[in-house]
Amino acid sequence: MSVPVTCTAASKTYPGGLTAVSPVNISLAPGATTALVGPSGCGKSTLLRMIAGLEEPSTGTITIDGLPPSEISRRGDLSIAFQDPSLLPWRSVRKNIELALDLARRPKVTQDIDELIQLVGLDGFADTKPAELSGGMRQRAAIARALATKPALLLLDEPFGAVDELTRQQLAEDLPAIWEAGDTTTLLVTHSVSEAVMLSDRILVLSPRPATIAADIKIDLPRPRRSEFARLPEFSAHVDEVFAFLSQGVPGSRAKAAQ
Amino acid sequence: MSTGASIATPGGTGWQPRVAAMGPVLLVIGWELAARLLTDAHVLAAPSAILLYLYENAGLMSRALGVTLTNAAVGFVLGNTAAIALAALVAIWPASERTVRGFALLIFCLPLVATGPILRVIFGPGPWPQIVLAALAVYYTTFVPLLVGLRALPSNWLDLVSSYGRGRLAALVHVRARAAIPYLVAGLQISAPAAFLGAMVGEFTGAERGMGVLTIRAMRGMNVEMTWALALVATAVSVGWYVAIGAVAKRFLEDEPPVILAAPNSETSGGGWRRTVVQLVFVSLMVLIAWWGFLKVLGLNPFFAKGPLDVIQAVTTASDAATNRDTLLTALAETSVYLVPGYIAGLTVGAMLAMLVVMVPMIAGTALPVAIALRSVPIITTAPLIVLLLGRGAAGTIVLVAVMVFFPTFVACLHGLKQAPGRITDVFDVFAAGPLQKLVRIRIPAMLPALFAAAKINVPASVLAVTVVEWLATGNGLGSVMALSASLSDYDMLWSAVALVAILSVLGYGAVGLLERRVLGIYAPEQLK
Repeated sequence: MSVPVTCTAASKTYPGGLTAVSPVNISLAPGATTALVGPSGCGKSTLLRMIAGLEEPSTGTITIDGLPPSEISRRGDLSIAFQDPSLLPWRSVRKNIELALDLARRPKVTQDIDELIQLVGLDGFADTKPAELSGGMRQRAAIARALATKPALLLLDEPFGAVDELTRQQLAEDLPAIWEAGDTTTLLVTHSVSEAVMLSDRILVLSPRPATIAADIKIDLPRPRRSEFARLPEFSAHVDEVFAFLSQGVPGSRAKAAQ
Repeated sequence: MSTGASIATPGGTGWQPRVAAMGPVLLVIGWELAARLLTDAHVLAAPSAILLYLYENAGLMSRALGVTLTNAAVGFVLGNTAAIALAALVAIWPASERTVRGFALLIFCLPLVATGPILRVIFGPGPWPQIVLAALAVYYTTFVPLLVGLRALPSNWLDLVSSYGRGRLAALVHVRARAAIPYLVAGLQISAPAAFLGAMVGEFTGAERGMGVLTIRAMRGMNVEMTWALALVATAVSVGWYVAIGAVAKRFLEDEPPVILAAPNSETSGGGWRRTVVQLVFVSLMVLIAWWGFLKVLGLNPFFAKGPLDVIQAVTTASDAATNRDTLLTALAETSVYLVPGYIAGLTVGAMLAMLVVMVPMIAGTALPVAIALRSVPIITTAPLIVLLLGRGAAGTIVLVAVMVFFPTFVACLHGLKQAPGRITDVFDVFAAGPLQKLVRIRIPAMLPALFAAAKINVPASVLAVTVVEWLATGNGLGSVMALSASLSDYDMLWSAVALVAILSVLGYGAVGLLERRVLGIYAPEQLK
């Protein structure tokens, strides 16, 4: 079961007056993968956190399947994965996955967990602690944890951002197929334009802070996506289009430091 | 790593460990010789004489140790359970934090020397006063690291819990509790010697059996060997207990227990002066109500159980109010004369020595573990020794307070000085800055938070030290007033003295806190969040 997401004039202003997100209207179709791209610090993570119910919008409303995000969380239908894998260091891969099922009050079916561990490519590492895994493997475990509850809405905040370029490509090739196979609405925050084009059905380009939607681009590449798509002319055309919108309103001299 | 610590690898050059092993041997030999030379002075017992005493009185000593250790252990369990419950309460219900912390600090500031006799009349002759004092001595040193530990985790972990629609209780059970365990261990380690100390102070105030009773007897009888033997056993047991907890923790934890110095800044802090004042008034009112309610609920005899109103009357409207005020103020003046110089000397020497040690990288690597272990020495139990060595005058008291303050300060400062981030020292190395430059520009600012943390926690600790010495030895000041009014059953005076000491300790703690905010605001604003 996938769910639609609707943001109606949702904005975020922090105490102290910093406006992170200007009022935005976004509607995400059930089952689609949407990427949010934008310059560092533009407020895209804030938008994602508001949809996750981790922050309250200052104005406007956000609904998931017609309900407030907190309601969806309580049903255990929402999962989030962060740039930092955020695995609990004292729990093995399996126990970290079980934590999500415990928190979502779902039954722990050993066979399902084994299958999931195999799917993300961590076969043989089920009982390994995070400290003994490589960065890429930890990220795989974090994705497995996020998928364990079969979420209706999957929120990914730079999920491949903390690893090196080669690992990143490998993860982007291996993992998305798993959530695309399920019936999941996915929202991905990234600042890699090619990753956004590769993974999503739709890209929302955000302006510098306070975030507004600068462009809404449909990506109509066929699925399943394969890494060689990156050499297709329509792929490059999409990348160029996104870059064109990104560079609007971002004077070159004001390039911000990376997060 | 560019910190000096990495240079002094143990066993690195072969001769170092042998020299390290020679140190204690030389110390014992020197001690033996000094004691033999000073036999007539009746201050120093030779190691051989102490061992002989312990051998000859093995039965007496082991029975006393058994009693004290049992009381300390029960108090340890009770006090730490209370600390864990309080910290869990704050984690589940953050709005309670200011109140819980205010109460916890105030109760920690109650002078054990006076709460001992009060507990004695409440509980009668059994072991309970000692047990309660042990519990009172430990709960704060566990509560504070736990508060830190329950928060020392990435915010993503908490977001993860929220993203499944779960609240603070689930966060505590699934994430915070386990994350806080290394901090709990750190707290338990420090509270081990504190429990022993609490039990001994409890025994000072009129128990029938135990190490504290023997200590009093040894002092009254001027028995030098016995005094030394008792102090030595108390120290050995405390250090052993401390090391044992560390060893057990090491078996089950991958991560070393962190060094925790002081209460974290409140998550709900801020909000300006007005809010702080309102909260202060609120907590004070709650304390007064709790005090009054405590007496009512226990249904204690009003002859010895004095409420807030009794105390206020005793120093304002009662017929002997002027005398009472006069007695308290005179005693306070006498106490301050010892307390303030001792406190300042302890802080200064602790900070200076830490800086000196850091300047000599060879020592720095080994100094910290040794200093941390020394922190577990129950200084108070060595009070009779210092009185033996320096006499019953001002010098003995001031030195004892200074020693009490010195160890935690030294450890904290040494730890703080090492906090200077490696990359910043690398930058200084690139500019070929000397060790002095690095000390002044990086290390001292990095040390300031630790110094202030030590300064805060040492306010109640130094009050404890000074009142115990006054009570045991010098016979003046607040400690003596408390002891005297306890033995004369002048309970108005006793409760007034308790209230005065507790209030002044809390105010002292608060004043150091204010100074801390001013200074850190200039040198280390990031520490204030």
